[in-house]
Amino acid sequence: MGWLIGVDVGGTFTDLFAFEPPTGRIAVHKVPSTPADPSIAIVEGLQGLKDRHGVDLGAMERFAHGTTVATNALIQRKGGKLALVTTAGFRDLLEIGRQIRPRVYDIQTDYPPPLIPRERRFEAVERIGSRGEVIVGLEEAEVRQVAAAIAGAGVDGVAICLLFSFLNPDHERRLAAAIREAAPGLHLSVSSEVQPEFREYERMSTTVLNAYLQPQVTLYMERLGQAIREIAPAAAIGINQSSGGLMSIERASQFPVRTALSGPAAGVVGACHVAALSGHPDVITFDMGGTSTDVCLVRGGKAEMAFGRDVAGFPVRMPAIDIHTIGAGGGSIAHFGADGLMKVGPESAGAVPGPACYGRGGTLPTVSDANVVLGRLPVELLGGDMRLDKAAAENAVRPVADRLGLSIEAAALGIVRIVNANMMRAIRAVSIERGHDPRPFVLMPFGGAGALHAIELAEEIGMRAVLVPPSPGILCAQGLVVADLKESFVATCRTPLAGDLGIVKRELARLSAALEQWWARERIAKSDARAELVADMRYIGQNYELSVPIPDDRGLDLPPAAELAALFHAAHARSYGHCDPAAPVEIVNLRLTGIGRLPDIGPPRVPPKRSGRDARTRPVWFAGDAAVDARIVWRDDLAPGDSVAGPAVIEQLDATTPVPPGYSAVVDASLNLVIGVRA
Amino acid sequence: MTSSIDPITLEIVWNGLLSVTDECFITLMRSAYSTNIKERHDHSIAIADAKGRLIAQSQGSLPIHISSMTGLIAALLAKYGDSIEEGDLFLANDPHVAGGTHLPDLNFAMPVFEDGRLIGLVANIAHHADVGGAAAGSMSGGLNEIWKEGLRIPVVRLMRRGQLAQELMDIILLNMRLPEERKGDINAQIAACRLGVERLKALSHRYGLGTLETAFDEIVSRSTARMRAEIAKIPDGRYAFEDVLDDDGLEAKDVRFKLVIDKSGDRIVFDWTGSDPQVPGNVNLTFNATQSCVFFGLKAVLDPDLPNNQGVLDAVEIIAPLGTVVNCVAPAAVALRANTCQRGIDVVLGALAQALPDKVIAAANGANTSAVFAGNDPETGRPYVYLETLGGGMGARATKDGKDGVQAGITNTSNLPVEAIEMEYPLRVLAYGFVEDSGGAGRTRGGLGIRRIVTPVGHRCEFSGVGERFTHRPWGLFGGEPGGTGRFVLVEPSGARRQLANKVRMPLNAGESVVVETPGAGGYGPPDERTADAVAEDLGSGKFTPEFMARHYRR
Repeated sequence: MGWLIGVDVGGTFTDLFAFEPPTGRIAVHKVPSTPADPSIAIVEGLQGLKDRHGVDLGAMERFAHGTTVATNALIQRKGGKLALVTTAGFRDLLEIGRQIRPRVYDIQTDYPPPLIPRERRFEAVERIGSRGEVIVGLEEAEVRQVAAAIAGAGVDGVAICLLFSFLNPDHERRLAAAIREAAPGLHLSVSSEVQPEFREYERMSTTVLNAYLQPQVTLYMERLGQAIREIAPAAAIGINQSSGGLMSIERASQFPVRTALSGPAAGVVGACHVAALSGHPDVITFDMGGTSTDVCLVRGGKAEMAFGRDVAGFPVRMPAIDIHTIGAGGGSIAHFGADGLMKVGPESAGAVPGPACYGRGGTLPTVSDANVVLGRLPVELLGGDMRLDKAAAENAVRPVADRLGLSIEAAALGIVRIVNANMMRAIRAVSIERGHDPRPFVLMPFGGAGALHAIELAEEIGMRAVLVPPSPGILCAQGLVVADLKESFVATCRTPLAGDLGIVKRELARLSAALEQWWARERIAKSDARAELVADMRYIGQNYELSVPIPDDRGLDLPPAAELAALFHAAHARSYGHCDPAAPVEIVNLRLTGIGRLPDIGPPRVPPKRSGRDARTRPVWFAGDAAVDARIVWRDDLAPGDSVAGPAVIEQLDATTPVPPGYSAVVDASLNLVIGVRA
Repeated sequence: MTSSIDPITLEIVWNGLLSVTDECFITLMRSAYSTNIKERHDHSIAIADAKGRLIAQSQGSLPIHISSMTGLIAALLAKYGDSIEEGDLFLANDPHVAGGTHLPDLNFAMPVFEDGRLIGLVANIAHHADVGGAAAGSMSGGLNEIWKEGLRIPVVRLMRRGQLAQELMDIILLNMRLPEERKGDINAQIAACRLGVERLKALSHRYGLGTLETAFDEIVSRSTARMRAEIAKIPDGRYAFEDVLDDDGLEAKDVRFKLVIDKSGDRIVFDWTGSDPQVPGNVNLTFNATQSCVFFGLKAVLDPDLPNNQGVLDAVEIIAPLGTVVNCVAPAAVALRANTCQRGIDVVLGALAQALPDKVIAAANGANTSAVFAGNDPETGRPYVYLETLGGGMGARATKDGKDGVQAGITNTSNLPVEAIEMEYPLRVLAYGFVEDSGGAGRTRGGLGIRRIVTPVGHRCEFSGVGERFTHRPWGLFGGEPGGTGRFVLVEPSGARRQLANKVRMPLNAGESVVVETPGAGGYGPPDERTADAVAEDLGSGKFTPEFMARHYRR
């Protein structure tokens, strides 16, 4: 088979990772991003793969892509001009939301205003009840009137969200059909298609966000599709979703909201793959970039999922990898708070001007500057393509040191200690606070800065080891290559387990039929088709659900009520520390995820380069009062089985791993660095 | 033992203490049984030192809880002092003898010992759905003495050296309507205390006991210094303000709250002398509740990021005469103190408006409007109680309009989705939106109130509502006009409408519906300074009628 190529578009760089399954060959390439039209950089990057690495683009089998077009459109508020149609009496729902303010003591800050102003929120006289029954019918005259009003509103798109449409989508469908006829060419987003589950505000918000993103994303998908078809006519195109799975380009145009959190998700998929190859199914991923850090818990080789998230201040319901993000990274700025104590972040020097050591005009002390001062970061990055200015870093840290009455190095150690304390809170948030003991987990750093901080963090938390993947800087692009095709189906079917589960079984049959259709549409072979069933359940009388995976040992059949109850009680005990086996339980939602497994790719087979560089050392501050001479090792020189004893610094193009005295890094069969941590 | 602490370690230890309170907060939320804690997060965690000083409070904590914590710890240390032992656990809820603010808030505290010495206490509060008394929920209006509001618990030792005082527990549970749920929530509170003790000890082992205790001193002194520096920025002077509560649900009307702020240098005194004597109805504030209002108002105008600890509280002096609505004595009833706290905050912000015009807001909806529908489900025969507190207008701000339809002041609880209500209860929500014209006009306008219309489906139920600012409108500032009042209206099957009392309890028949309208909020600055664009938007959005706009904006 031909090349599989993953392309991750970031704010600064577009990363490409190419893999040829039969030979195990890997090629990696990086080009500057082109935010105005990201497909330009993609085409350029593909050309680079061909010219510099001899990748035969015509033989490209799959093009897997993570895009930030949706995210950027949202942040810059460059989405479509929209109208909303909702049930009469409820047009203000979009603005009231959950009636809370974002910060209790802050009387000046509000959640962002709704994406559709009140005058473009139309009401239709109709009402569906809580069993899906029609309470107020939707008259044809009403349908025509609403459609005409929309046609005259001068909008690019329409979001339709009626009460209880997740139980009975008939009214939404009729309105959609009439609008399609009255105003052809409008983008349409219908809540019973986007995310048919209960809780009207979250469903409405998700539908509106989806509508908002449709114009830009559709345009981008068209351009991209055309460009790729010209280069590689046979290649299948997959677009990454927040759930970590790929979807077709058509689905991406229809449901662009699903890409909104897909950026960091690809990295976690890559991490899961690396973890599985190295025989460590339980890892906590630690993706530290310039301005933020993403942390995620992976158990049994699978990332934890969440179904409700915030995107740019708006609630969204969709399956997403459960990633915890904090505003601290290599560019985070050290400063003094109102209490006179030093803080690090959340303000960041960003890419411009960047940390002082980048020499692009930045003067404020950042985490990267502290790492340069300590000798942990080399003065040459990207294999010599980028030089760091140590004197500038020292000048930036000096005022901090003076104010604290410390040496520059002690102040830099302080900056690192404080940012590490922030990171530790993030790791605790995804583990301890969700009922998982982090100690048996392995910490997997990636992103540019992760490996610099990982060992100290793992030691402080008591985790057993750190695992640095072979290419920490392009794990997202790598994750795209190994991602499966995924499609999610949901149905709300609230039923007590003690009652008649017939309706739940009927809903499951309906979801299964939709899943079969999807497999057929995506031409997924039976042998590659998989399904995962999750039931959201709760104790009757409670207002929150637990998502409980249903084992697939009986295919896609619903287990008997007693078994479902047992699964729920066990999940409750795991999450909350107790359960009440006597209390009645109900099912609220069924979630079916279809998976089209793509061919497994094995470990990379890259012979070590043995660059023959001279052994050198440099003074590095690990802790305490003095620098020690650390051996500098080039990562490409390391082969499976090699071991590097600290004090050392292992350098590579896209990451730096300091190994403190007393530790040693071992290279495993998949070329990961594994650093055991003392208990 | 004293020792010095370097500023970097102090920052890390301080963060570590906050991290402990946050972890306990989440643990309590996750392991509790009742919706009130799990969904509405009506709970808080704190760490106090051995002197009883509040050192750290969890970030998700409600403003009303900060002073209840200090009140409990003070009462506990005064009563048990040297007899406190490792493994003890203390419980209290009483507003009059144990520092509480109302009975449903059960306060727990567990001491932390190192080297055989008391080094601090870990405390938590949770609002329980029922603590006995005359009415289910222990929050009904119209009660005139504390005994009717539920079981009064002074500070008691619920555990001695790890041994539960089972007989005490039996008395407590027997006096509550849902003992199983109470037991579950109490166990969750105990688990959160234990976790906090364990985590505080771990911090002590990691950084050293001396370092930890020095950190406590530093946190308090730095916070006081920071608060004083903020206070010093307020212009010196005397700032007076007064306002009234509509009624107490019994006989008292126009209950007066009077405040004079005296600010000089970094000293600030809040003097509530002249406020009305305590009233028969259950709207009285204990001193701690009044302190929470002052603290909320100051933090909102000075810096929302000010830490919640003793150092900040210490920087402020409060005078509240005993036996008044701002410092009631037994047997005053207090259950509805949340509504009263809203008025307390209005008065604090109203007084500060003269000193810090750019930082304050006009009066917000000033209420904790609550609507309860209770009855028996006609299909299952099972009893149900649906309770909701609704937001309203947020007061206009110096540079922007007040937000429409949002929780303000002392509370920030979320609504229940319409689809959840109708799936759960035999009720139908006919409309949920803004009350047009309820935002006071101004250069920036006040936020709109919320309207929700509810009808029982196929059965007769009971409606009880508690409203405030249903008589007196939320005031505007600097020429801004007052916002609209709220009201409860009964709509009969014929369509006839009848306005109900501010605090009401009545049967509701199938076919009838109740319209709940919450108050809007006041405007800021003269209406004729409102920009043409803003006026056009008010009209175009339909949030204001052409008649209203013509009446209030001369153009």
